[in-house]
Amino acid sequence: MKPAVFDYSAPESIAETVDLLAEHGSGAKVLAGGQSLVPMLNFRLARPAHLIDVNGVDELSYISANGALRIGSMTRLTALGESGDVARAHPIIPAAVAQIGHRAIRNRGTIGGSLAHNDPAAELPAVLMALDAEVTARSADGERVVGMQELIEDRLFETTLGDTELLTEIRIPAAAAGSSFGFREFARRHGDFALAGVAAVITTDGSTITQAALAAFGGTHATRLPTAEAALVGAETGDAAFAAAGAGAAADFPSTSDVHGTADYRSHLINVLTVRALQDAAGNSGGGNG
Amino acid sequence: MTTTQETRWIGVSAPRREDAPLIRGRGRYIADIEPAGTVHMAILRSPYAHARINGIDTAAAEALDGVYCVLTAADLEGIGDFPTIWRLPGQKESNTPALAPGKARYVGEPVAAVVADSRYMAEDALDLLDVDYEILDHVVDVEAALADGAPVINEDLGDNTIIEYTFPGINALGVAGDIDGAFEEADEIVSGRFKVGRYSGVALETRGLVAEWDDLRQTLTLHSGSQVASLLRTELAAALGIPETSVRILTPNIGGAFGNQWDRYPEDILVSLASMKLGRPVKWIEDRREALQATVHGREQLQEWQLAASSDGTVLGLKGRVLSDQGAHLHSVGIGPAWVTGAAAVNQYKIANYHCDVVGVATNKTPNSTFRGFGGPEAMFGIERMMDKTARRLGIDPAELRRRNMIQADEFPYFSPGGAVYDSGNYPAALAKALEAVEYDKVREEQQSLREQGVYRGIGIASYIHVSGFGPSAILGILDYYTGGYEGSTVKIDPHGRATLYTGMIPMGQGTETTLAQVAADQLEIDIANVRVVWGDTDQTPYTGFGSAGSRSNVAAVAVIKAIEEIKAKAVRIGAGLLEADPDDVAYADGRISVKGAEEMRSLTLADVAQQAYWAHKLPEGEQPTLEATYVYDPANFTTACGTHVAVVDVDIDTGKIDWVKYVVVDDAGTIINPLLVEGQIQGALSNGLGGAMLEEFVYDEETGQLLSSTLMDYLVPSFTDLPDFEIHHLVTPSPHTEGGFKGMGEAGCFPAAPALANAVADALSHLGVEVDQTPVTPSRLWSLIDQAGG
Repeated sequence: MKPAVFDYSAPESIAETVDLLAEHGSGAKVLAGGQSLVPMLNFRLARPAHLIDVNGVDELSYISANGALRIGSMTRLTALGESGDVARAHPIIPAAVAQIGHRAIRNRGTIGGSLAHNDPAAELPAVLMALDAEVTARSADGERVVGMQELIEDRLFETTLGDTELLTEIRIPAAAAGSSFGFREFARRHGDFALAGVAAVITTDGSTITQAALAAFGGTHATRLPTAEAALVGAETGDAAFAAAGAGAAADFPSTSDVHGTADYRSHLINVLTVRALQDAAGNSGGGNG
Repeated sequence: MTTTQETRWIGVSAPRREDAPLIRGRGRYIADIEPAGTVHMAILRSPYAHARINGIDTAAAEALDGVYCVLTAADLEGIGDFPTIWRLPGQKESNTPALAPGKARYVGEPVAAVVADSRYMAEDALDLLDVDYEILDHVVDVEAALADGAPVINEDLGDNTIIEYTFPGINALGVAGDIDGAFEEADEIVSGRFKVGRYSGVALETRGLVAEWDDLRQTLTLHSGSQVASLLRTELAAALGIPETSVRILTPNIGGAFGNQWDRYPEDILVSLASMKLGRPVKWIEDRREALQATVHGREQLQEWQLAASSDGTVLGLKGRVLSDQGAHLHSVGIGPAWVTGAAAVNQYKIANYHCDVVGVATNKTPNSTFRGFGGPEAMFGIERMMDKTARRLGIDPAELRRRNMIQADEFPYFSPGGAVYDSGNYPAALAKALEAVEYDKVREEQQSLREQGVYRGIGIASYIHVSGFGPSAILGILDYYTGGYEGSTVKIDPHGRATLYTGMIPMGQGTETTLAQVAADQLEIDIANVRVVWGDTDQTPYTGFGSAGSRSNVAAVAVIKAIEEIKAKAVRIGAGLLEADPDDVAYADGRISVKGAEEMRSLTLADVAQQAYWAHKLPEGEQPTLEATYVYDPANFTTACGTHVAVVDVDIDTGKIDWVKYVVVDDAGTIINPLLVEGQIQGALSNGLGGAMLEEFVYDEETGQLLSSTLMDYLVPSFTDLPDFEIHHLVTPSPHTEGGFKGMGEAGCFPAAPALANAVADALSHLGVEVDQTPVTPSRLWSLIDQAGG
């Protein structure tokens, strides 16, 4: 379990990084926190000719809460989870980050790395989808802004970013007044990749749900849950609406089987977790594993 | 003069002397060993479950810079392989080859080996090996493997049936009973079909080896984590065709062995051979993927049982068929674990009429061999689930059903129809103590009220026996087990009266160094700080043929006691001369040699006598100088540890998640040498058992024959957050057979863990009629059972 031969660069700026990407194109791979890429290198599942290590690019690491929340792509998950600005703007983020791996993994792993790697069982792509986040992608040719759904589409372990693009920033619009969230996932052990999980953000005018954004992970790819959202918007908060949303979520969910659970089980879990996440949101009680 | 308090050590919770260096980073493991000039081996493993190897082109790999040699099966001409130690009558023999000879039979089987300057380069060279594989049909399920037309794993054996062995067997002492009569007479016949999952030790430290061939001295030193070094030495020398006197096995610290390291492996031969070819040290460290694919697996069985009961709950008879998934090759112990399953399945119960067919089946999977528990936990799963099913059928409380059928305390020695002679125990007392500790009646009442609130609480009882202290060598001979069951111990008293103890046992986490030091200090009645334990070097330590050390302290401890008896007798003879007394009037007590009745006046310390023994100026006539003794103890009988565990869980019927409420342990391992270590061993073995009950499983894909759980993201090892708090109680029924009354207990915790959990979950879901008959009990499997039951 040793990686194949590769060349290595350690740029110190975004400009330097995108030049290297322009030079090496599809033969290059960006190394962020390394929590997924390094094992893939060791298994020789990834064999980039050139590794571009951006851990020395300090300008990619920041959290800014002036207006929309802006987060640099190299922000470590621990920093993300412990940020007061992030917690005030979107408390679902620290709730989700607490479920990612273990402390040592969060100390090293980054928000941009998680999005770019796009593991279908990862928490952040789904959470950021539910928050209508956007990312900025830089290349030697300039910068563009990509919505989360456009970034992920129905892909797994890759995104729609080009070979020469670097994910630089995550922008999250301010939450609607009166919104609340629920976050539920089911993992066999704490810190494992979830078999299924749901991020839910709902807004009510007291009793009627005016907005609902739900996204799921643990299937073949992270996805919004439009049928569930439709079942909620305009409905009274409560068991009936939540049950309808749960059934809708299961219908929307692109389920899959592996050693940990069957596709039927995962779809069922999405139903159960959607209901529990919505109950948490209604009760403002956050979320967790199970 | 020291007091008795400070010199008796058996029963004391002495802290582990192994801990300080391990905790403070001074442990030394195989990966830490790198003699000058070391080169590194990597192994090409079959990516296919079953494939003919028509040729291997090694040219590109050999041409790579930094590569020293490539080994394929063609290079093994004249090299032997390791024999199966346990060769039951009728067992078709097929040794595990060092490199797949013409055909690969499981994913991960070694096909070729490369030695290079670094592991990186060696793995680069593996990429360049061009193997011409012809993919064959595979089979990874025992029933499919027995079906007509199934792919044959080993053509030399004719088919995939390795052995069919019937209990009562060769040493059943005429207690076969009348199985047909029992079933005719029965009021109820209860059936069960159980899948015991495939899992294994998955030690923190993977296997590793460093071989150093010295061509001038013609000696081979192998640094190995083997838990039975002397047997490895014997077999390695034979396989390589060199004198055993040329081979030295050194064992550093071991980061977990769990029985897996009892076996001999292809890599033992490959690194040694490469070192002999190159004249350089050759190192191989197993990576995690290799560890999951190529270190032996354990457990996997498909069991079918039928139990005949009368309406009052008396178990009249038990019959069954156990299909053991052996994988592609017989490894070091053959079908031994499955044999033990057949021998142990009657458990603590007076089941006079017993029949069991044990069938060893070859499949395209990693060999299934030695693993903590060795067939016992599998047996407990079947019988303890059967007891609960029977209780439910008869409407009798599961605790009561067990109580009615248990062997009573005055019925030992008990001749089991499984063939074992149970030495001692008090099964009803252990059950009663466990029920009292868990507050059984109260928990049963709460269960009712909680269920009305939608909380599904279940209580699972599992009683067990653990036949340990293998074994009288003569019995091993009757069982066609080709090694001895003894342990040797050499004790040397230095001229200052301190003791050095040499043991063939290998400490691998169970605290052997501490417990043997305790026994020696206790017997010599000296401070434990004055005892040093030497292990891990076949040039210095006594031969052990067995070495499954988790359950061996009891045998090794007796060897220490016996050696020290000889030393004390010699000290008394020498001391009597010095004290000018008749030896019959001199005794050894409190670490001193004294004239009886005049201990204050005419007394010598052990150091006084030892000094004289070394000076040898005034020894009795015929007495040899120095003060040392060796004793090799062959146990008089097996010992039987036993106990009852009770698990209490809550089941989330919406997700299949299991939450722990309580876990109570009552164990009886005879005299306890060190309560602290016993508690640690129980916790460790229970974690191991509950891991297999809930999380750990080697899953094979039927379609491709691939091992799907080949990383630690797919193969889930429990951590403490996944486990309950264990509440541990003891009974002490000393073994009548062993000096000191010790029984082996290092494995016992994994015996009742899985059935206790499964019984608890089934009990929680009794309103749905859910039966939990497969391990591990994963949330997905459990939800599927709940869903099918309409829950």
